[in-house]
Amino acid sequence: MSFPPIATFLPLIYFAVILLLTWAVGRLSGLLASRIIGRTMAPVAAAGGRLTTVIVWVIGVTFAFQELGVSTDILLLMILIVGFAAIVALREPLQNIGAKYFSDIYTPFKLGDTVQVGAYTGKVIEINPVTTVLITESDTLVSVPNSLFVRDVVTNLSPQKWREVIVPFSVGGSVDLARLESDLRKSLGKLRLRLDARFPPVLTTRARTALSTDLTLTVMIRQPEDRDAITAEVGKRISEVVSLSGRTTSGPSA
Amino acid sequence: MGAPTAWTPVRSASSPDENRLGRAVLAPLRVRPTLPPDPRYMTVESPLDLCVNTQTPLLQFPPPAPGQPAPAASRDVESIGSLVEGVDYRYSPGGVTRMVHPLLRRLHSAGVVGATQWVSLNPFAPRTILFNDLTLHNVAVAPDRLAAYGNVKETIWGTVHGLRESGGSDNLFWSDDFSEYAYYNRLTAETIRSLDAQHDFDLFYIHDFQQLPIGEMLGTLKPKLFRWHIPFEADSFPERWHAAMRGYLNQYDTVVVSTDRYLEHLREFGYTGRGVRIYPYIDESEYSDPSPEEVLPIVERFGVKETDRVILAVGRMDPMKGQDHAIRAFALLAKRFPRLRLLLVGNGSFSSSASGLGLPKSGSWRNRLEAIAEELGVGGRVLFTGHVTQRELDACYARCEFTILPSIREGFGLVVVESWIHRRPAIVSKRAGIAEIVRNRTNALLVDPEDPKQVAGQMEAILADPKGLGAKLVRGGLVAAKKCTIEAAARAESELLGAAVEG
Repeated sequence: MSFPPIATFLPLIYFAVILLLTWAVGRLSGLLASRIIGRTMAPVAAAGGRLTTVIVWVIGVTFAFQELGVSTDILLLMILIVGFAAIVALREPLQNIGAKYFSDIYTPFKLGDTVQVGAYTGKVIEINPVTTVLITESDTLVSVPNSLFVRDVVTNLSPQKWREVIVPFSVGGSVDLARLESDLRKSLGKLRLRLDARFPPVLTTRARTALSTDLTLTVMIRQPEDRDAITAEVGKRISEVVSLSGRTTSGPSA
Repeated sequence: MGAPTAWTPVRSASSPDENRLGRAVLAPLRVRPTLPPDPRYMTVESPLDLCVNTQTPLLQFPPPAPGQPAPAASRDVESIGSLVEGVDYRYSPGGVTRMVHPLLRRLHSAGVVGATQWVSLNPFAPRTILFNDLTLHNVAVAPDRLAAYGNVKETIWGTVHGLRESGGSDNLFWSDDFSEYAYYNRLTAETIRSLDAQHDFDLFYIHDFQQLPIGEMLGTLKPKLFRWHIPFEADSFPERWHAAMRGYLNQYDTVVVSTDRYLEHLREFGYTGRGVRIYPYIDESEYSDPSPEEVLPIVERFGVKETDRVILAVGRMDPMKGQDHAIRAFALLAKRFPRLRLLLVGNGSFSSSASGLGLPKSGSWRNRLEAIAEELGVGGRVLFTGHVTQRELDACYARCEFTILPSIREGFGLVVVESWIHRRPAIVSKRAGIAEIVRNRTNALLVDPEDPKQVAGQMEAILADPKGLGAKLVRGGLVAAKKCTIEAAARAESELLGAAVEG
């Protein structure tokens, strides 16, 4: 029995090698992107990392299939068509999910706050990826699409809410939360003159899986005009604490 | 198995333990019988799965010899049967574990709670200890973090008890030490959370001020109960602590305090959940009435002679306990009563012990007391026992004519109840929580501990009329003590747990 010549297997070998390289480059570039973005925008660091990884994979898979003789033009066309169709079909939910993504970071309200958005006023009792559920004074449930919170004016009617700065972030599931909390508190202690001393930072666990833990860090500011600067500074410090400890930041909690 | 640092199997006077498990080292002549479970306990379809959290562990393990690793801490799981009391471990002194453990036993035997998981700080212990119906989970914290945690804990303790200027600790919650305090609490909360994933608890019962942030850190929707054991007087907290403390407290569905007065303060402070008052309690079955033949050799070891008249003050060595005031009052009577002795029973708490936080306050306070006694010319007549066993404590009560609780502030003051059940009259500080159930000259004598003339006057009143006033106070005390029995507490706690899970 004779084996076919090695050249027959070369495309398969190249295919496997390219996938392997793609995996390595994807992982490395994802981490790198996450770290670079995290220096300035901690909450979106992990999302940036993931996006970078996906782009590397698309390029890598395209090259890999080219080695097998598959026409990459057709492959790219299919990706474009499927992507376009998905965007058109899921336009509304995507808008809401995207809005949720940004409202997590930039919209100053949380569960339990009383807010006014468009024609609706009520207490926030649920924030899911698509809608935010309010309970009105007349005990009625109102489900408001998240996109409205980005498009429309949102008023938080809860008292003193302007003081509250909530920064969501995620860490890997194996991260030592006790150490993280201790380090964060020490770091934020340097900002205490800009913060309301009556309210020490509060680290809250929002969701947890084996792979990641979603957290929020809440601080109270002293002066309203410090809000932007403190939000950025707190985000930066979170990023530093997480990366200095050799941990991986992910993105805002879902 | 042995530990490098062998311990004498003794414990703090104010916290009898040896009899707690029915494993008395020396059986007393007359042990009070354990009462059967009360049929009026809450009935539950199935026993509740409970997680208890205290800072102080039920069992303490000795620190390793210098340069050596802690032998017990290297092991994951130990059964209590494989450990030797007095060598590997000893029972914790301290009011909290002393109350919690008998309560759990009682609730377990009544079918209210099932096998309970108990999480505590315990730096040198195995990670888990199987202990009858309890599983003890030990949280270990590195020494440098533990020292910082201890500083915060002592600052809160000292401030609440009026031993520190409240303004001096305004920035406590922002200090680096507080980061370590949060570290310990978060580590504990994570341990509890991980246990919850295995056991799916029905509720969490968190004890004492050191653990206050746990409720928030747990982030669970399940019922959370908190017992505040120390005084709760809003005006003792610095203004700048209020918002944070209110935030922490309001994470609990129920907060239990020790007196009606504390309950009022809790509500005024802005706690919006369910506030409950349950008096602290003792388990009478843990105490014995030793015979005079037994008492004599025991108290002689502490320097008490057969002809001496003895005043007893039981409490750990801590400025809050006000032993200095007892010495000052005693000194005023010393010339007129030449055979009078003041017997100070007790040593340090978990915080002072080498197996705990290793804080130096116990030793330094004893040195201070000895110096005061010398200055007042009563050095040889103020006797210090240090740690005593339960049997020795019972002997001290049996030998004294009356007891005094001179605390400048005290969450409750269970030693007064001990005095009552030993049929000894008590002089009680007005500033102790137990003053709420004291009726002056009916079941005890109330005093301002910082007024030595008044304290000395009340001491003299009992010394002069033991059969009249003394006996009257004992009769009244025995009635009042019924409010502070394990049975009364177990009924109340049982209802509390039932209400917590049923809403």
